[in-house]
Amino acid sequence: MAIQKQYYRRKKVCKFCVERIDNISYKDVKLLSQFVPERSKIMPRRISGVCTPHQRRLSDAIKKARNIALLPFATE
Amino acid sequence: MRNYEIMFIVSPNAVDEDIDKINGQIEGVVTAGGGKAEKIEKLGKRRLAYLVNKFREGSYVLFTIQADGAIVREIERRLRVMDLVIKYLTVRMDDDMKRLDKIKAHRQKRAARRGRAHAESGERRAAPSPVEQMPEE
Repeated sequence: MAIQKQYYRRKKVCKFCVERIDNISYKDVKLLSQFVPERSKIMPRRISGVCTPHQRRLSDAIKKARNIALLPFATE
Repeated sequence: MRNYEIMFIVSPNAVDEDIDKINGQIEGVVTAGGGKAEKIEKLGKRRLAYLVNKFREGSYVLFTIQADGAIVREIERRLRVMDLVIKYLTVRMDDDMKRLDKIKAHRQKRAARRGRAHAESGERRAAPSPVEQMPEE
């Protein structure tokens, strides 16, 4: 039996799998901005819990959105 | 023929007629090349996420077109030349659309199968087996 941890960590789930969002569009700024914290870096999977296939599409979409000035490249 | 989305930003100094003129020109290029402009959307003025040509905001326009590479090349050349257009982005959509259709079909098939399974299990429940009557604990 595994040693019980002192605190209970909730299992992270991929938002896109749970809500069945198939199309991660670069136009959906509201959705994408949930995955860019203040410094406007792309949030890593280990924090957001997004699964690998969705993270790949997400980061592509964020990069497209940056290109057309919907999202910033960097903020001071 | 492929599906593309072309999004571009027009400078905030442009009036509505200017934008309409640009849209007309681009639509002309598409139809002249044998493509089809499916949708032309003016998304209105938006704050830009960063400075582009020293502008803080711009009017976004979105084209959804069916075209081939030559048409896209021509459109991009024209957008580059236009002074009022400060930024543009072309995205190819047909691969994505194909993928989405596949997912949708797959989901429908699964839902149908699940619906049938539900109906069967309902029938089985009408005549309960001894195992199902056992208490949970």
